[in-house]
Order: sequence, then C-alpha cells, then structure tokens
Amino acid sequence: MRRRLHRPTTLVAAATVGVLLLGACGAGGRDDDGGGGDGGDGGGGATAPGVTEDSIKIGAHFPLTGVAAPGYNEIPTGAKAYFDYVNAQGGVHGRQIEYVVRDDGYNPTNTSSVTNELVLEEEIFAMVGGLGTPTHSAVVDFLNDEGVPDFFVSSGSLQWGDDPSAYPYTFGWQPDYEIEGKIIGQYVAENMPDAKVGLFLQDDDFGDDAEKGVRQFLDDQVVAAERYTSGNTDVGPQIASLQAAGADLVLSFNTPSYTALSQLVALKLGYEPQWFYTNVGSDADLVGSLLSRFSEGAVEGGSSSLDGVMTTEYIPGVDQPDDPWVQLWQKVWDGHGEKGKLTNYRVYGMSHAYAFVQALQAAGEDLTRDGIVEAMEEIGADLEGPQLAPFRYSSDSHLGISGMRVVEIRNGAGEDLTPVLVTDIGDAEIVEDDSGQDGDAPPENGVPEAP
Amino acid sequence: MQQLLNTALGGLTLGMVYAAFALALVLIWRSTRVVNFAQAPMAMVTTFVALVIVDAGHSYWLAFAAALASGLVLGAVIERVVVRPVEGGPEINAVILTLGLFIVLHALAAVIFGNRYRSFPAPFGVRGIEVGGTTIALTGFGIFTILAVLVTMGLLLLLFQRTDIGLRMRASAFNPEVARLLGVRVGRMLTLGWALASVVGSLAGLLIAGGSLVHPGYMDSVVVYGFVAAVLGGLDSPFGAVVGGLLLGLALSFVSGYVGSQLVALAALVILMLVLVLRPGGLFAQTAARRV
Repeated sequence: MRRRLHRPTTLVAAATVGVLLLGACGAGGRDDDGGGGDGGDGGGGATAPGVTEDSIKIGAHFPLTGVAAPGYNEIPTGAKAYFDYVNAQGGVHGRQIEYVVRDDGYNPTNTSSVTNELVLEEEIFAMVGGLGTPTHSAVVDFLNDEGVPDFFVSSGSLQWGDDPSAYPYTFGWQPDYEIEGKIIGQYVAENMPDAKVGLFLQDDDFGDDAEKGVRQFLDDQVVAAERYTSGNTDVGPQIASLQAAGADLVLSFNTPSYTALSQLVALKLGYEPQWFYTNVGSDADLVGSLLSRFSEGAVEGGSSSLDGVMTTEYIPGVDQPDDPWVQLWQKVWDGHGEKGKLTNYRVYGMSHAYAFVQALQAAGEDLTRDGIVEAMEEIGADLEGPQLAPFRYSSDSHLGISGMRVVEIRNGAGEDLTPVLVTDIGDAEIVEDDSGQDGDAPPENGVPEAP
Repeated sequence: MQQLLNTALGGLTLGMVYAAFALALVLIWRSTRVVNFAQAPMAMVTTFVALVIVDAGHSYWLAFAAALASGLVLGAVIERVVVRPVEGGPEINAVILTLGLFIVLHALAAVIFGNRYRSFPAPFGVRGIEVGGTTIALTGFGIFTILAVLVTMGLLLLLFQRTDIGLRMRASAFNPEVARLLGVRVGRMLTLGWALASVVGSLAGLLIAGGSLVHPGYMDSVVVYGFVAAVLGGLDSPFGAVVGGLLLGLALSFVSGYVGSQLVALAALVILMLVLVLRPGGLFAQTAARRV
C-alpha cells in the first residue's frame, strides 16, 4: 500500500512545481511591461492603466463555482446589472464601465492566478468587490505593491481598513465583524442580561473578530464558545457542547449553509435556544430554501423558516419592497439583469457598484489610480447610498459602513429592534446614528453624483 | 453526560456512513486490487439522480431504489469503458485514472445538477428521539443508517465467504491468470465487483445525504475518511471496514466535540499514519503472506 501512495505524491509534487513555474513566468512578465506604465500619478490626462477616453476596465474575483458559490455567485450579476444601467445612461464622465469577473472557486491559489490575469493581462484599472477573507488575503499585497485600487472588498475582516499605511489602496465596504460583534454584544447585555450566551463561531478572522467585539460587552455572560471549521459539515459535536453548557442564547457568526446545518442539528438534539445570527448567515430566502424540504414538516419551508431569529441589517434588502433603494434595484434588475429574480446578494452587488460609481464621479475626469484613492479618503465619509450608516473612510481608516441595526425576522422580513447604531473598532462608543442615511432615497435617475 | 452520549451517538451514525463507504472501497480492492478514488463522485452522481426523482414528485423509496440501480449501472459502465483499457498494466495507472474520473465526474455534476447546496429529504424525520424527557441525538434515519450498513456488511460477507460467485471474484482479483486458466470469466467478475462496489458507495451517499445538504463536493471528505476506515480495518476485510468506520466515526466525533473541529482532518491522518506504521495490514488483515 505504501508503495502505491508514493507515486501520486510525486505526481502532485511535479504538478506543484509546474504551477510554481507558471506563476514565476507570470511574475516575470509583470517586470517587463510594468516598468514604465504604472505609478499612475502623473498629473493631468487619463493615463492610468485600464482607462481610455471612453472606457474604464475594472475586475473582480468571486466564487462562481464550488461550495462557497451559492448566493455569492449572484453578487457579480447584481453589480454587472448596475454597471450596465449606468452605461446605458452614458457612463461616468463619458466612460463606459467594463466589468470583468473571474472565478476563483473560493480557493486562494486560484485567486492569485486570476488576479495576476486581471492586473497583468486584462490591465484593469481597479479591483472592485473581490470576495472573501482567505481569498482576498492572498492578493492584497500584490494589489497594493502594484498600486491597483482595491475597492470595497466583499468581506468584513478588519485587515482591509484598520491600517491604511499597510494597505493604502485597499478599502473595506461592509461593516466589519468586530463592530457587528460589539453592537450585538451591547444589545444583548442591555436587553437580555440574564441570558446564558453561547458563541458559535467560524474558525478564522470572521469568528475571531466577532468574538472580540462580543466579549467587550458580554464576557461574563458567555458560557461556551464553540468553533466550526468551514468545510466540515458535521457540527453536531459543537452544538451538543453548547447545549451541555446550558446556553439559552446562541450568537452565531457563520455562513448561510452553516445556519441551515446548525438549525438541523438543533432539531436533532432537541435544543431550542434563542438564535442570533450574523448578517452574513441570515439570508432568510437562501436558508429557507435549504431547509425547506426536510420531511414531516419538521422544518417550516420558505422564508418563514427563520422566524423569531435575531440578526442585523446594514442595507435594505428584498424584504422591503417599498424602500426607494430596493425599488431602484428592482428597476435596474428588470432592465439589465439576467434571468432569475432580485435577491439580497444581487442587492449587495448593486450597492457596492453604486458606491464605486460614486467614487469614480468624485475622482473627476482625469482619472488616475492615486487620484481615486485620495478622493475616497477626502469625501468617502460623505458618500450617500443604500447603506443605513455612513462609511468611515478617511486617511486614518479605510473601514466601510459604520453601523447597523438589530432586527428580528418575522415572515422573512426584519422587524426593527433598535435604531441604526454606529461605532468603530476598539473602545469607540456605540451611539445612535444621526446622519440621516437611513431613510434617504436615491437620485431620480439612479446614478450618483459626486458628493 | 448528555453531551457525551450525544457526541457518541453522532459519531456512531457518521461512523456507519464511513463504514459503508469503506465497504465499497474494500469491495473494489478485493475484486480488482485497485483503490477507487472516484467512488465519492460516483456516489454523489447517484445521489443527485435520487434528488431529481424526488424533485419530480415521486416517493423517497423509489428514488432510493433508482439511485442504487443507477449505481450498479454506473459502476459496470465505468469498469467496462474507462478502467478496462488500463487493466493488466501497472495498478498505479488505474489508481491515477480513478483520480481523473474524480475530477471529470465532479465537473459534469456541476454542469448538469448545478453547484449550489440543496437539501436532501430523509424518510424518517430529522428530530431526535425522546427518551425519558430528554432528546438524544439519534434520529429515525440514524437508526435506519446503522441497520442498512450492518445488513449490507452481512450480505457481502455471505457473498464472499459462502457463495461460488464470491469465490470466483476473489480468485480473479487475487490472480487473474490462474483464475482464467481455471475457467473463471475474469472480465465479468471485475465488472461485477465494480458494479457491486458502486451500489454500496451509492448507499453510503444516500445515507450521508439524508436530512442534510448536498452539493457536488459533499462526498469529498467522506472518501478520505472512508479510505482511512478501510485501511484501519484492513483493505481486505468487510468486517474490518465496518469496525474501522465505527472507530473512526467515534474518534473524530470526540475530537471535534472535546478538542476542536479544526483538528478532525489532522486526527484522521494521524490515525492513518499510526495504522500504516504499527499494523500496515490493518486491524483485521488476514495472513501477511498475501502481501507480496
């Protein structure tokens, strides 16, 4: 048996060497043609890579296939629909936006190679909305070394924005996991002071950042913290241990598939705590469709499957069809979308595409890579958009949306439990938002102006 | 106490699935001396066949039977069409071929059935059984899983130890030349071995899918754990495969519950290495003389 296993190992090694060699060739190519063209801070004229008189080419990496694809593969379809909508209205400063999406299968190795392609072959002006913490971590250094604007990473990890001197070209977008943890922690400490809190955490930055935020307020109340490894679908032992610790409120920081799995295991164990899922894991439609068909009606189908579960909200979603932003998204999707209906993931894509169009407006007609970064640091905090709370962009922080509200899911829609609360990482206080972002409406034509 | 019980029960059910999968690997090994890494995507494909039938509004049991039948056909076709041309050459060729099949079947399934997570129904409910007021982590489907695997193991033991055809299958695997001289139709035995193994693999696929989520990659970790279980029990022994599967399921469940879920895969590899170092033939290997 042992002899049998040696040969495949050699083969894998050979393949690895091959891939490394290919990678090296790619890097070599960069030196050759990157020598003069980059830098992009020449004063006037649109000389930046990917920008011509009448077009701007931008790129993104998303998992279009693989286990992380469900839901997430809809984000770029939403973003594309919005860019097409803007193009149909004449583009930005007369330039049409060309949006190139590459599939990385949520595999960091693939992310590196598709990012190389995007930057070196496609010569994109900027990366917009690249998804995932482990995946984007693999390319963030490369993008910053090359001076490629790396806007609105689709992940709530702190590293995209807490230290702009390390990654000057990278900007976060959604609220980071730490402030979500803080806001949830404070809500529970104030409103459920007797709850025995269990934490169910994804075993990476996602769970770690959130736990840090939660423990600022709830350290005494936490009776157990369990971690699951993404990819291992057997979460029975973790949930059993939360049950054994007597947790009657479970704060879960996990992806949607694991929301479904944790609900299933809880049924199996006869465990009925109050569940409080992170925004990331609480898409009622997606989880409902996963849970819908288990036998005997043991699980309610459709969007009501998460009834009574608490979560948070930072942009309006499809459960609020009367919201003026959602009406805009619906119009955009009907006019420029692919098949299928508008979903929260598509809304997410459109929301960050909206912010990027606004950034382009703000950067002015003479578009350069450094220029758009400077513009974001100057006026980023004043950007209007679907987000319920303002961005935190400045020269000291590239973190995204500053807050969210706590909601309880009823019939697939969120019912507000708090007003929009804003804060920042660390000791920053949690206060009610007074920016008026919640309740604003998009401009008539649906295309933002520079603020 | 309840946690201990529930972790053990979870491990038991999961271990039975690994056991079923290990049984399938052992079957192919016994009948062709090849480790079939494509077993996982083959089982995945047949599970999706079942899902399509359930989606069309038919009963679970019809889908169940159809999945096993399509497993039988798929196994036979793959042996005849894909594996046959490399049989007789070095065994490593066939093993590499199964790795290639792994990727091809994955990609095909993603194209045909889509890449998203989908829920797979279970026929007996997904709530735990109540005993004296507390719920224990054993569902009706869990009991069905355990019984189904035990029955399958019994049938395979009977087939190999007590029937003429089982003897011929073993003979063709052990020494095709001699078996052929003695009048055994070796080719047919090989096809039969692959077909039977594929049925057992399909069963494992259905059992792990029931009451859970499926997507084209959902069996991938099972092929690793099933392989460890098969090695643990000795690749030659159906009984060993089941015991190996159970031990592994329990061990991994306890590691996950009491140490940390990030160590599950590592623990499986440690077990694999320990077995290979200490008892290369597995816990239940027969005579060492057969290992040349």
